[in-house]
Amino acid sequence: MEQLINDLKSQIKEALNLEELSLEEFDENAPLFGEEGIGLDSIDVLEIIVLLEKNYGIRLANPKDGRAIFQSVRTIAEHVQANRKK
Amino acid sequence: MDIQVAGYGIICAIGNDAQSVLRSLKEGRTGIGPMRYLRSSHKELPVGEVKLSDEEMLQMLGLDEKTVISRTVLMGAVAIRQALEHANIDTQGKRVTVISGTTVGGMDITERFFKQIKDDDTLLPLVEKHDCGSSTREMADLAGLKEAQVCTVSTACSSAVNAIILGSEMLKNNEADVVITGGTEALSLFHLNGFNSLMILDKELCRPFDKSRAGLNLGEGAAFVVLQSQPHSISPQGKRIVIRGYGNRCDAFHQTASSENGEGAFLAMSEALQMAGLQPDDIQYINAHGTGTPNNDASESAAIRRVFGEKIPLVSSTKGFTGHTTSASGAIETVICILALLNDFVPSNYGWKEQDESCITPAPSPLPLLGSAVLCNSFGFGGNDSAVVIGASPNPSKGGEKHQDAETCVLAEAVIDDVEQLGELREFVSAGEARRMSKLMKAATISSLKALREAGIETPDAIITATAFGMLETSEKFLVDMLENGEETLSPTLFMQSTHNTLSSAIAIRTKCHGYNMTYSQGKDSLEWALRDARRLIGTGKAKTVLVGYHDEATPTFQEFFRRMGKPVPQEIYSRSIVLGATKNA
Repeated sequence: MEQLINDLKSQIKEALNLEELSLEEFDENAPLFGEEGIGLDSIDVLEIIVLLEKNYGIRLANPKDGRAIFQSVRTIAEHVQANRKK
Repeated sequence: MDIQVAGYGIICAIGNDAQSVLRSLKEGRTGIGPMRYLRSSHKELPVGEVKLSDEEMLQMLGLDEKTVISRTVLMGAVAIRQALEHANIDTQGKRVTVISGTTVGGMDITERFFKQIKDDDTLLPLVEKHDCGSSTREMADLAGLKEAQVCTVSTACSSAVNAIILGSEMLKNNEADVVITGGTEALSLFHLNGFNSLMILDKELCRPFDKSRAGLNLGEGAAFVVLQSQPHSISPQGKRIVIRGYGNRCDAFHQTASSENGEGAFLAMSEALQMAGLQPDDIQYINAHGTGTPNNDASESAAIRRVFGEKIPLVSSTKGFTGHTTSASGAIETVICILALLNDFVPSNYGWKEQDESCITPAPSPLPLLGSAVLCNSFGFGGNDSAVVIGASPNPSKGGEKHQDAETCVLAEAVIDDVEQLGELREFVSAGEARRMSKLMKAATISSLKALREAGIETPDAIITATAFGMLETSEKFLVDMLENGEETLSPTLFMQSTHNTLSSAIAIRTKCHGYNMTYSQGKDSLEWALRDARRLIGTGKAKTVLVGYHDEATPTFQEFFRRMGKPVPQEIYSRSIVLGATKNA
């Protein structure tokens, strides 16, 4: 799980071009969206959906279904672990 | 002065000419269905294709079937020829301008030959047909208008209505005698996959304004109108059609989403009504932008409610028939409005079944149209929102229009022409905001904000952008990924930064500018068109300050193409922003 969390952090950092966020600072429990967290938006949701399909073979047809999954890096990791195809 | 419609031409999913389009609308036949011509692997997506192959259109135009010409150009040339034939006016000795709205331009050809161009010198001329401006030149020539001056407007899905607005303004300011204006857009793998990456395409037939709506279906087509200032009867009954008013505003909210209260749409519709000298209840029908996405239809409904209050006229979106024909949609729907006025009917909102509380209630079946003024809405990415009022009778005489004749002066200017200078970006934007920006976006942001700062202006009245090739870096990345890795898992961030109007709308968002917003893409003439527009806005008192930008970039691939052709190699980056104002004595 810890390995998966670290992988996801660097994949998200790269895909979303979060240059100024170091992997050490990137808290897997912090909310990804909204003011008090990492501050991602709806386009980032779409990029994370692409990333999950590319790297783990997970398909998400409706971005709205992602709300619960994309709360934090940890919730994404849990979803990946349960549903990954590769 | 009234702008008279002297003729029109149309080709889209529900017909290859105006008569067949009219029949399909009246008989309730959609043109959306399984993909036949587009070579995409996404066969699950229904599309509104023109029911003709490229070869058939080449034949219609009297050309060899093997000629390689963009489908955008072919459809445009067919529609322009129809419009000219319908208008039946002598253009000899007249100042004729052809204006087209498009974003795809020659992309359908580029995506088909991109890999081969890399090793085959004989295909290099196709590179020079990629840009939007050259596609407009080519179709004007094919329609027999070799002497005409041409201009291309590229504000994504509102391009064609903005082309009609530009044409009308040129006639009003006596810059042309006859204007043939509209838009054309072929389906391309590029934008089908782009919209798909944004997850806004419905796998079922689209249902604009319906409670269960789940996205749009893409369509394709072209439509053009012939405009002039001389009175011109357009039907055997002696009916006239006039462009009565129009509005172009910016939502200045988000690159791909519309604001909840539909601010840009509200402002555009209000401006169009005001210019037409009409009250909201003078409008009998609204042809809505109504794409079928949850966001657009709710936002547009909010804007319509703000303008019309309790007394909302009949509304329908005709995209359930034609699909969303993107840059051409404003012209296709303008011609549909003209057909409605000439034939006294309101097209139905194909696909609608169930009321959504957040949406207006559309016209369910073809209804008689009792009246003489209709409104056509057309909105685009980046919040480029426009609306046009079309009437079957002339405007009441307003006793001389205001004409201020103000002179234009340069208030400030800034140039970015070296990638080294892009480091200055952090003076203006945070790291979070900068992370998605391509080189050209960075350059345009810096030069714009520097020029505005020097002029001491936070929010200009209008923003006009000129770009010959547009967002090459992001477009190429998206294209290469699609061609090499297939039509899955493509980046929405790249696609949303691929349209030419990305720059103008991003600067509007940053400067909170809800005013006039326009993007020109006409090769080396782009800047001149933008400056002409700025002078017109200032001269007629519509704006006091205008930010004009000329922004272009060249990727290494693109530069290599020019090197191989033995032509001057375009610069890696060039961005020049000019703030124009009215001279004090005006």
